Amino acid sequence: MADALIVTNLGKRFGGLRAVQDVSFTVRENETLALIGPNGAGKTTAFNLIMGFYRPDTGSVSAFGREMVGLRPHDVCAHGLARTFQVAKPFGGMTVVENVMTGAFLRTRRPDAARAKARDAVDFVGLSTRENRPARDLTTIDQRRLEMARALATEPRLLLLDEVMAGLNPAEVDQAVALIGKLSGRGLTIVIVEHLMRAIMAVARHIVVLDHGQKIAEGSPQEVVANPEVIRAYLGSSYAPAAAGAAP
Amino acid sequence: MRLRGWGGLMLALVIAAMSGLPLVVKSPFALDILIRILLFAFIGTAWNLLGGYARQFSLGHAAFFGLGAYTSTLLQIDFGISPWIGMFAGGVVAMLASLPIGWLCFRLRGPYFTIATIATAQVLMLIFLKFRDFAWGAEGTTIPNLGDAPLMMQFEGKAPYYYIVLGLLAAALGITAWIERSRIGYYLVAIGEEEDAAEAVGIDVPRIKRDIYMISSFLTALAGTFYTQYIYFIDPQTAFNFSISIEAALVSIVGGVGTLLGPLIGTVLLETTSALLQSWLGNSVGGVQLTVYSLILMAVILWRPTGIMGYAAEVYARRRQSPASG
Repeated sequence: MADALIVTNLGKRFGGLRAVQDVSFTVRENETLALIGPNGAGKTTAFNLIMGFYRPDTGSVSAFGREMVGLRPHDVCAHGLARTFQVAKPFGGMTVVENVMTGAFLRTRRPDAARAKARDAVDFVGLSTRENRPARDLTTIDQRRLEMARALATEPRLLLLDEVMAGLNPAEVDQAVALIGKLSGRGLTIVIVEHLMRAIMAVARHIVVLDHGQKIAEGSPQEVVANPEVIRAYLGSSYAPAAAGAAP
Repeated sequence: MRLRGWGGLMLALVIAAMSGLPLVVKSPFALDILIRILLFAFIGTAWNLLGGYARQFSLGHAAFFGLGAYTSTLLQIDFGISPWIGMFAGGVVAMLASLPIGWLCFRLRGPYFTIATIATAQVLMLIFLKFRDFAWGAEGTTIPNLGDAPLMMQFEGKAPYYYIVLGLLAAALGITAWIERSRIGYYLVAIGEEEDAAEAVGIDVPRIKRDIYMISSFLTALAGTFYTQYIYFIDPQTAFNFSISIEAALVSIVGGVGTLLGPLIGTVLLETTSALLQSWLGNSVGGVQLTVYSLILMAVILWRPTGIMGYAAEVYARRRQSPASG
């Protein structure tokens, strides 16, 4: 399998704070990789560095063989990387389908073609019944669906999902997990930032653990949950035996 | 929140009805009010492209109004070039001026952007006040009266001016209607709602802002030329007057920002209110009509913050939804 995303020695400081330091990892094509770690570990900063929202102080981000550092977010998106935001940022006054059209316009100028493509994406995430509702009226999970549809409409090869499960109830988490499985089934490479271990174990094939901006562990879900360093920094001691037993 | 579909039809009807008005309205006073309404509806429509759709709240559009006015007047007086040509030259000058102004101001967001735009218009006014040798300084100048000279944009009666400004407004509304339906229209609204999300879905936000600022400036400059030709006078205080910037924003806010007909509806409402109050209360205690005007303005903004068109869209949406749910 080819490499979709290669992050090498990525580093970013905010004043005296080292938000991300010397982080390297590789995402292979059609793999789902989870980025986990406690709050403030640098996960969202890493997303912002990859997508061009921040410029890294050190390191490189190579996506599908092309260097992304120095590109602005819309260029990164044009190269096939799309993201969702931790706090959903829908275009509130627009309808659901109009929101998704803004993404579809990246690949087509024609409004009717964009609308058709947007409808497909809205349908894919299961929002068809609400496609003409203003986005601001959506519930949390539907806003997350909308963000995914909007990202999908840009025809990405790599999708970065920032805490899409936060604030969802258990039934909704199951739906979101199913949706991510469906995206992966379509051939998409996915990087997901998530706190919910149950969801991560269900979707990720590879996990990278960050703490204080540094990578402290990496491996398969089973390896990572058994790693003493990860248990100390993030999972907590009570998690280890239960997770080891429950891991699929 | 856009009234798609019948927006175009409404627009055509409104323009058609307005074309007939001078056949009925003969009083110069009434025509003058109508011309001012159309002029500010036009400026508001130009402002609305940037301030309404993209929510880049400029309070510096007087800069472009003034540049348009001065460009055509300088060309006319110094070189004898017709204001018809000068008008478009002024548009181009304003468009070019919007590039450095935008380059500076778009680094800032929200209120900071607004303050920066105010400053640019004020700086331009000071430049025209101070540099007497090329643009008559603070005294300004009158436009030489050539009598009835259509080729020099001068007319005996008021009706031709009415048709010129109606044409400008129709063109601006046409451009807005086209933009609203095209990709750039969606991009503008997206930028106005959430800039980061707009960038993330592949929108080149600085480029779109720059482009719409150029179009908005170009149109505003045409209004400057028209106004100078209409009143036969120009000076920095008139051409770069802060109240032009405010009015452009105000009519759009009252009518409904980011809607096709919002600025026109807002202007009709504000200008007629102001004219009526002037004739009813103008002779009583000084300034009382301005106080009442301000109170009405506050009431509209408090009760209908989305403007008249925003309210219309809500009612329309409610009507459409209620049969389905009930």
